[in-house]
This record gives sequence, structure tokens and C-alpha cells, in this order.
Amino acid sequence: MSQTFGDGGRNGGLFIPHSRALVWLNLAVTFVVAAISFSLGFWQGLSAQIVILYTIVLAAVLFWLINYVAVIFESRSSSLETDTAAPAGAGGVWAGNRVLIITMAVMLIVYLLITATVPSFRSLGNLIAFLLLEAILVFAFKVGNRFAHGRSAFIGLIVLLALIVISSFTIKGFLSAANIKAILLFAAFLGIACVGQTLVALLGGLDLSIPFVIGASNIGLLFLISLGVPPWLAVVFVLIIGGALGFLNGVLSYRLQGQALILTLGMGFAIAGLVQILTSIGSSFGGNVFGTVPKWLQNLAAMNGRTFGLAVPPTILLWIVIAVIVIVGLRYSAFGRYIYALGGNRRSAKLIGVSEFKYWTLAYTISGFSAALTGALLLGWSGGGFIGVGDQYLFTTLAAVVIGGTSLMGGYGGYGYTVIGVLVLQVLSAFLIGIGLKYEWQQFIFGLLILPMVALYGRAPHIRAQV
Amino acid sequence: MLMSQSRGSQNTYLLVPILLIALLLSAAVIRGPNLVCLSGFGSAIIVSAPLILATFSLMALAVAGRGTVDLAVGPLLAFINVTIVKLNGLGIVTGPFGVFLVALGIGVLYQLFFALIIIFVRVQPIIVALSGFLALTGINLVILPRPGGTAPDWMSSWGLGNTIFSPILLIVLLAIAAWLLFTTTSFYANLRLMGYDERAAYTSGVRINVVRIGAHIIAGLFVGLGAICYTALISSGDPTQGTTMTLTAVTALVLGGVSLSGGRGGVAGGLLGALNLFLIGYVLATFNFGSTQAFVTQLFYGLILVLSLLLTLLVPIIGRYLHFISPFAAFAVLGCVVVGIMLYISTRDTYGVAVAGEAFKSNPDVMTRYLLLPVQSGSGPALPDLTPLQKIVFGFAVILAVLTFTVRVIVAEAVSVRLGAFIYVFVSALILLLFLVVGQQSHAAGILATGQSLGIGP
Repeated sequence: MSQTFGDGGRNGGLFIPHSRALVWLNLAVTFVVAAISFSLGFWQGLSAQIVILYTIVLAAVLFWLINYVAVIFESRSSSLETDTAAPAGAGGVWAGNRVLIITMAVMLIVYLLITATVPSFRSLGNLIAFLLLEAILVFAFKVGNRFAHGRSAFIGLIVLLALIVISSFTIKGFLSAANIKAILLFAAFLGIACVGQTLVALLGGLDLSIPFVIGASNIGLLFLISLGVPPWLAVVFVLIIGGALGFLNGVLSYRLQGQALILTLGMGFAIAGLVQILTSIGSSFGGNVFGTVPKWLQNLAAMNGRTFGLAVPPTILLWIVIAVIVIVGLRYSAFGRYIYALGGNRRSAKLIGVSEFKYWTLAYTISGFSAALTGALLLGWSGGGFIGVGDQYLFTTLAAVVIGGTSLMGGYGGYGYTVIGVLVLQVLSAFLIGIGLKYEWQQFIFGLLILPMVALYGRAPHIRAQV
Repeated sequence: MLMSQSRGSQNTYLLVPILLIALLLSAAVIRGPNLVCLSGFGSAIIVSAPLILATFSLMALAVAGRGTVDLAVGPLLAFINVTIVKLNGLGIVTGPFGVFLVALGIGVLYQLFFALIIIFVRVQPIIVALSGFLALTGINLVILPRPGGTAPDWMSSWGLGNTIFSPILLIVLLAIAAWLLFTTTSFYANLRLMGYDERAAYTSGVRINVVRIGAHIIAGLFVGLGAICYTALISSGDPTQGTTMTLTAVTALVLGGVSLSGGRGGVAGGLLGALNLFLIGYVLATFNFGSTQAFVTQLFYGLILVLSLLLTLLVPIIGRYLHFISPFAAFAVLGCVVVGIMLYISTRDTYGVAVAGEAFKSNPDVMTRYLLLPVQSGSGPALPDLTPLQKIVFGFAVILAVLTFTVRVIVAEAVSVRLGAFIYVFVSALILLLFLVVGQQSHAAGILATGQSLGIGP
């Protein structure tokens, strides 16, 4: 049995536990799940090729995942056993699981209260959802502790899973292809807008100008197109302007890093105001831009868009490509490593010759660029320019970064985490819409959700420990 | 020397907002002379009061350090506003006592919660603020889906703005006075120490948790008062203005030279910043940008926020070179100049009508002409009749007194940490004089009803 993560069965990306029994167990679990999905697929009346394809993909991914978890358990368990030797007896159980027990009790009370007061709440689906939630809580608490790194991502995945399961129980048609496509499409918009926010957050900054740049690029692009500029040129122009505005953000906030949040907010306001002035000069409709969006741009982002004949909007694929590039880039390129180095410790990064100014402005430039890209894509989606189209991204970009688990102090996290955060947010949003909550309630719940998510991992040490 | 230098440079950050307010006030008066009359000042006070109080709330938290910028201040204000309106509409809380209790109670409770989360959960304050922002913005729209409703009846006369001495002014003055009283306590010293260096405060035995909770409670009180002023201003409920209010309050805070990283700031900075921002809006409103007016305002607010943030980088440099100038002395000097401009503007049009030019030729003294005559001509009993010689003597005496005060202030205040009491008396006397003159002017204009008083009056 290996002791470290490095040689713990990491055979070129394939995680294979050393214990034979575990391998067989994983194989068995995978097989059972695959069989269930196989029969379910035929029961739904899908075509045989698709069922077989999906089953194989599912089995492979599942097997890989289970093995990954098993390897982590193998490599961590020996070192953890000594730490978790809690005192025996009821007192020991209480001391070890205080938070878990309290949370579960609170949830039980809330559930009983709602059940007692709201008659329409008493259904089998809700009971199953509640039990599932409790089980997930136990799982997250007991297993989440085993991950030293990526704990927030793990919890995020669990939450995502729970949300999907609960939603599909309570909402009809949640797992339909159209709904999944819609969720993914909106996730793609949010995810592309979050690229810059993640990079900036890794450096310990924040960019609140994103929604304004989105709105500005949205109406600016339509304005350029309506002026008669070739659409592809207009898109390139808008993207370059977006990058330039991001660069300006970075330069201006470099000496004011503590106040980058406020500064970018002010910049965003100025940008939105300026673009609105520019687009409404000579027009009697203040702030409204009219024009026709070219077909290819509509196809790029509209719900019924097609990629190489597939009925998937190209934006989703674009997001996947961007995500892969950013994740790999952050992990393996010098650029990515230096961003982590600067975020983790400015002083030592500077001492090894990393230019803080360069990376700070670069991160903001990328942020402006990705925001402008989101604005352009949103134009294709909506077909009409509107300055307020980015408004909801003011805090959702931040919420996605935070929920995913990237530290706002910098130096810890990554775009992969943000992808999880984006998906959690979008699925939660779809769930809330599904059970009939309006946008205002969603915003309220998002607001309350950020705090516990940050509290799970982003707590500062006590002042005693800082002196 | 070093000692005096460091002491002298303590408040130099105020020089920028003071200079700005002098320029803006002059511009505002020249562009829109309507400002200088009873209803002009009255509405200015009422319009700027919510912003001033929201800025104070942010200021109290900013001084507490850890980069606490309560982004939720706008939505919180709107939340209290819609709650008051909703409770009034339902007939649950209508009386003044109840409304004040509800407003201040919500403000304090929210801020207390905020403080407890920062202290015990130990999350960055900005995250708590963001969380509060989202949650409150959402819940505001749930309580009141669109602007509407009515404020309590007794509040309706508050928002008219046809007089200077309204209850709103009283609230603002009380808030300022309360903060100034608070600055004399050792609690305030602890607060500033904590904001400047939390570890130093902790190691020197300051109970930082108590201090932080105290700062948040003060901020909550300010927000509650601001919400009452806001409700009186719009005399209804509006759940949609939270974001704008947050942005303007943060801009005002930065414009007033309050450090967002803690430890530096005061009521003067917050007040000057809020007034500056109000005046910027006022001056912008006097230009006619047509359909782009709102966008121009947006652009300017954003630019001003960015520029004033960049200006804070210059504060140490200003402090190094201009440490011998007391900001309050500068305030007094600039104040005299601006008040002179205001008096000139306010009396320019009515002078000829009211006095019919008789004393005009006989008395060339500017001070006397603009300061005393309109009062005299408007409603006799204010001042006894003076001969031209008496007027000249009196005018020179006033100028001499002003000059002496100014020189005295510049010399004495440059090295002192705190301001002497007399400058407050001086400045308030100046403002009171202005109000009196303006009041008399409006009164006179009303009596004469010539209809030619272009710049003044209703």
C-alpha cells in the first residue's frame, strides 16, 4: 500500500487502487450501475446505438471516478487514522461530529415544521429528497474531510449531484434534453464570463466591471453592425476594445489593489455610460439600439443553434474548449504557475523575478476580453441590444468563483472549481425556477448561499494566530 | 520639527475635497442660481441627506478596517424604506416613534448580524457585504415589487423642501453632532487603532470584538436615519434604487478622502464627499444633454469614483508638501470666497428692485453692499438704519475680523491635531449668516412680488 499521493497508483492518469478487492468492488459497482442505465435506456425507448454508447461512456467515467476516490482513500487513510482517533463513547461521538449533528437536527426540525404547516408539502418526493439531503450531508462531512485539497470542489460536486437528484424528483421534465441544453447554455455564458473573474481572484483581486463590459459590448456590437461594419470585424473590434478596457482596469488598479473592487465598479459605470452616450449620439432613442444580428452569430448562441449538424449550440462547445484551455494553461504553463505564485505570496514571487504588474494587468485584460465575448454571445442569444443584459453577472460571476472554492485572497483554486460553481448555480437556478420561485427569491437565496460556502473553506485564522 | 510636521499633516487628506467643494459650489451657484434661496437650500439638504447618512454609515465601517466596505448599504436603506412603507400601508406602524424604532432597529440588527459573522465566522467582510447585497436586493423586490406605497402622514411635510430648518436638517445635524461627541471618547481612539492595525490593537489589550460591534451598531443607526430621510424625500417606497445608492455612497466616501483600508476618516470627509457628489449631480443637471442625460451622469459618477480613488494615492505626497496648510483654515478661506460668490449671485438680481439704486452709488464697499443692504431693505427691523459712514466702518470691521480669524486659524491650526472649538462657531456663524440673508431675500422677493427676481424665490 502506497503512502503518498504521487506514486499511489497514478499510472498515467488512470487511478488503480493497489488492493485487489477494491478493484473488483469498483468493477462490480460500475457494472450494476451500467446495467441499470442500460435497461432504463431501453425502457425509455431510445435507439440501441445511443443506449450502448451512453452506457459505455457512463461506465468508463464512473469506473474512473470510483477508482480515483479509492486511491485517495488508500493514500490518505494511514496518515489520517492517527488524527481521527477520537475518544470513545457518546461524548466522543458528540465532540467529533458536533456540527454535523446540529445541522442534521436543524434540517429535521425545518422539514417537520414545513410538513406540519404546509399541507401541499407532504409528498413522497419531498420525503425522499429530504432523506437524500441528510444522507448527502453525512457523506459530505465524513468523506469531505479526507480531501485535504479540492475539498470545496468535492462538496460542490456533491451539492450539484444532490440538486440534480432532488430536481429530477420534484420537477417534471427536468432531465429532458431541452432543459439540460438550456442549463448548459446559460452555464456557458456564465462560465465564459467567469474566466477573467477566476484569474483575477487567483491574484487576490476582484473585477466588478464585468457586467458593465458585457452590457457595453452587447449594445456596442449591435451598434457597429447597424452602422454597416462587417459583423466579423465588429466582433473582433469589440473583443479588442473589451481587452483594452480590461487592461486599463488592471493598470489603474495596480497601485490600489486593496480597492480593486471599488475601482472596477467605478470603471464599469463609466464604461457603460460612455458606450450608451456613443451609441445614442444622433439617435432619438436614448440608449436603445436597433439592428439585425447576423445569422451565424444567432446560430452561435441561440437555443436551436447547431454545431456541425449536431443540435447543440456552439457556445457550449466553445465554453468546453475555453475551459480545457484555461484549466490546462493554469496547471501546466508558466503563466498559470506564476499566477498561483503571485496569488500565494507576492513577496517571494517577486523575489524569483515574476513581474507582478505584468500578470496583474494580464489577468484583468483577459477578464475584459472574456466579458466582451460574453456580451457578444449574449447578443446572438437575445437578438437585440440591451445594456442591462449583464446586470445579473455582477454577483453571479463572483458567486460562481466563490462557490467553486477559489479563494478570494488569491493563490488557491482554479477554473475547474469555477466550472463546478457555475454548474451548481445554474442547476440551482433552474431548480428554483422549476418550483415556481421568482427571480427575486433566487437572488435572495443566492445571497444567503454564498456565506456558508465561503465559511466552509475561506475562513481567516483567529487574530490570536496572526499576531 | 518632525513632530509638528507629522501632526500638521494629519488631516491634509481633506484638502482635496475642500478644494473640490469650493469649485463645485461656485460652479453650481453660477450655473444654477436657484440653489441660493430658501427652497434651493432646503431641497438640497433634503436630497443630499440620505446620501450623507449612508456615507456616514460606510465611514464608520471603513474606519473599523479590514477593508470593510458595506456594499449592502444601499439595499439595506431601500429595505428599511420599503418596510416602513409596507408597515404603514398595513396600518401596523404609523406613528413617529414606531417608525424610528423600526428603522433604527432594522439597521442595528442587520449590522449586528454583520459584525457577528465577521467576528465568529471570520469571513472577509466584503463577502458578507456581497451576500447581504444580493439577499437584500432580492427581498426588497419581494416586499414591494415596484415603486409605490405611501410614507406615514406626519412625514409628508418633511420632504417639501421649502424651508431650510426642516426635521431632516435636524436629523443630519444630530448625526454629525453625535459622531463628533463620539470622537472624544476613548472608544473612538480604540476604533481608529483597530482600523489602522488590528494586531497592534489586539496586543495592546483593546477588546477588538466589542469595538467592531460598536462600529457596526453606529453604522446601523446611521443607515436607519438615512432610510427615514430617504422615505421622507420620496414619500413612498422604492426597492430599485439600492445599487445606485451603494455606488454613490461609496463614491462619496472615497471622494471625501476616507481610506477604504481603515483608520483614516471622519465626519468632515464623509460630509464633504456626499455634498461634493450631490453638487456634481446638481451641476450636471444644469447642462442639457437631452436624451443622454442619465448616461452622462453615470459616466461622470464612474469617472469621479476612479479619479478620486487614484487621488488617494497622492495623499501622502500632498501631506509631505502641504503640511503647513491646515485643511480647516483652507476651508474657512474658501468658504468665505464661496459665500461671497453666493451672496453676489443671490442679491444681483433683486438688488436693483429692492433698493432702487439709492444707496448703490453712495456706498462702494462690496462687503457692505452685498451683505447688509438687502437685509435692511427687505424687512426693516432686521438692522437699524445706518449712515454710509457707519456702513463703511462696519464693513471694514467685518473684513478685519474675518482676516484676523483666517490668519489666526492658518497659523494655529496647521500644527494642531484637533480643531479648536472656535472654527466650528466661525463656520456655523458664516452658514447661518448666509441662510439669514437668503431667507430675508426670499422674503423680500415674496413681499415685493415684482416677478423680476429672476434668480431667486419660488
